[in-house]
Amino acid sequence: MEDGVTATQVVFWILAVVMLVSAIGVVTAGNIVYAALFFIAALAGVAGIYLILTVEFIALVQLLVYGSAVVILILFALMLTRARERPQALFGRSRPLGIAAALGLLAMLIGAIVATTWSTPETSAAIQPVGLQAIGDAIFTIWIVPFIIVGVLLSIALDGAIMLASPDEDDN
Amino acid sequence: MVLSEFAGVSMPDWIDALLRVVFIVALMTINAFALIYLERKILARLQARVGPTRTGPIGTLQSIADALKLVTKEDVRPITADRWAFELAPYMAFVPVFLVFVPIPFTETWFIRDLNLGLLYVFGVLGLNIVGVVMAAWGSDNKYALLGGVRAAAQAISYEIPMLLIIVAVVMVAAGRLAVDGDASMAGSINAIVGDQTTTPYILLQPLGFVIFMIGALAELHRPPFDMPIAESEVVGGYFVEYSGMRWGLFFLAEYTALFLMVMLASSIFLGGWNWPFGADVGLGLQIVLTLVKTSVMIVLVIGSRALFPRLRIDQLMAFSWKVLLPFAIVQVIANGIILAYGGADWVVGLVSFALLAALFGLIYQLMRQRKGEGARTVSTTPATPRVITAPDVTPVEAGGD
Repeated sequence: MEDGVTATQVVFWILAVVMLVSAIGVVTAGNIVYAALFFIAALAGVAGIYLILTVEFIALVQLLVYGSAVVILILFALMLTRARERPQALFGRSRPLGIAAALGLLAMLIGAIVATTWSTPETSAAIQPVGLQAIGDAIFTIWIVPFIIVGVLLSIALDGAIMLASPDEDDN
Repeated sequence: MVLSEFAGVSMPDWIDALLRVVFIVALMTINAFALIYLERKILARLQARVGPTRTGPIGTLQSIADALKLVTKEDVRPITADRWAFELAPYMAFVPVFLVFVPIPFTETWFIRDLNLGLLYVFGVLGLNIVGVVMAAWGSDNKYALLGGVRAAAQAISYEIPMLLIIVAVVMVAAGRLAVDGDASMAGSINAIVGDQTTTPYILLQPLGFVIFMIGALAELHRPPFDMPIAESEVVGGYFVEYSGMRWGLFFLAEYTALFLMVMLASSIFLGGWNWPFGADVGLGLQIVLTLVKTSVMIVLVIGSRALFPRLRIDQLMAFSWKVLLPFAIVQVIANGIILAYGGADWVVGLVSFALLAALFGLIYQLMRQRKGEGARTVSTTPATPRVITAPDVTPVEAGGD
């Protein structure tokens, strides 16, 4: 573009670098708590990208949901693993399977990116911010059935977790 | 908008933005100084002491002396601590609190920026603060720090849910009212909610919301009676036990700023912020005074609660959130939905919320009556049951007594 670099582009590149570095950090950090902390940096970068795309609602929900989720993840990492004693236990026998899954996902994403017809700044209209009410209307009218199904699914998962976690009455 | 209007001059955007940041930093520092002094004085009075008296007139310079001590103190890092987590944690705990100031309205026109999703923003960003706490807890490599941090995380996540639900209930009411004489899509903006309270503060429409919000705020801020994460007698200060000097100071700056923010948020949403009570508008000049008076009264109540209530046990705290506050918050949301969908008047909303509040207080009273027999872990509510029979059923209580 002739008019040089816009502020949005600068912010985008900073966010992109942050996201890439932290995403690589998630998988290469030997320490599982470090991996979780890199994870939240990557997710914060995604929230920043959402902000650039003027979908503030999704950006904030991203922070709200994943902020708590990553804290819980750290707690699980601390309680269920020996993060302190054996920090290097990330590579196990399932390594070939993991590599295969990663390559499969990569192929799928590249396929999707290639297959998409991208709009150029000339062809695309200015981005119209989607209002919160529009999102609410869509969720609670058009997409109400998937919404209810997801809700029921989460409730089942929650009940299952409570059943598993609650101590046996007889054991006491 | 804020400062350029205040100074009566126009200036470039970036200077304006910079001035706003400087203003917030100055406010945070002065606020922390004032609150520490106030807390020591109020607690002292409640305990029949006088508090700090020697530094400055009636001890007013005590906080400055404390701050000087903190910045000149040696910054110790335990040799087994995780370097990065330990050193970055104070900033991670502090920065989100700083960012939350953006949508908070001091007066009708004094705010950093009025966000349409202001309430969601506050909770989304403030929730990140707990990441810093967990980083500090884990990075310190200290048993008590870890215990405190895990408690803080469990507590913050548990109390966030009823608080968010109650905010949903408030926004529902606000959207219904704003649809009449404004833009309903602005119901998430804090300034719009404050602006709607010219005649009726929302505490009258959502009294249950106010109570749940304040209980949740006390828990989120680790204030007594919910201060298990930092309880001296249990976890020796909690997640910042290994910190010293200015890093410790940053944690405290974050705590006191969060206290100010939460209380200011409560006074904005429920007490009408910069509005005169009940629509007696006397002019714009006193808006900042009104905001600060409402906030100050609430702060005195929050600080006073530290001397008035005994500390809860962690399992009681979690049970209270999940088994009492969350169901009440859900019922409030459903009730509001039904009333507003059928076009109920404001007084119906308020009446239902008052009824729910009465039910909540009744339940708490019932629970406290049961707690008196807690030592034997009997669930007998009938006074006729003889104590002797229940005595063999004694099970060891996991945590220690209060």
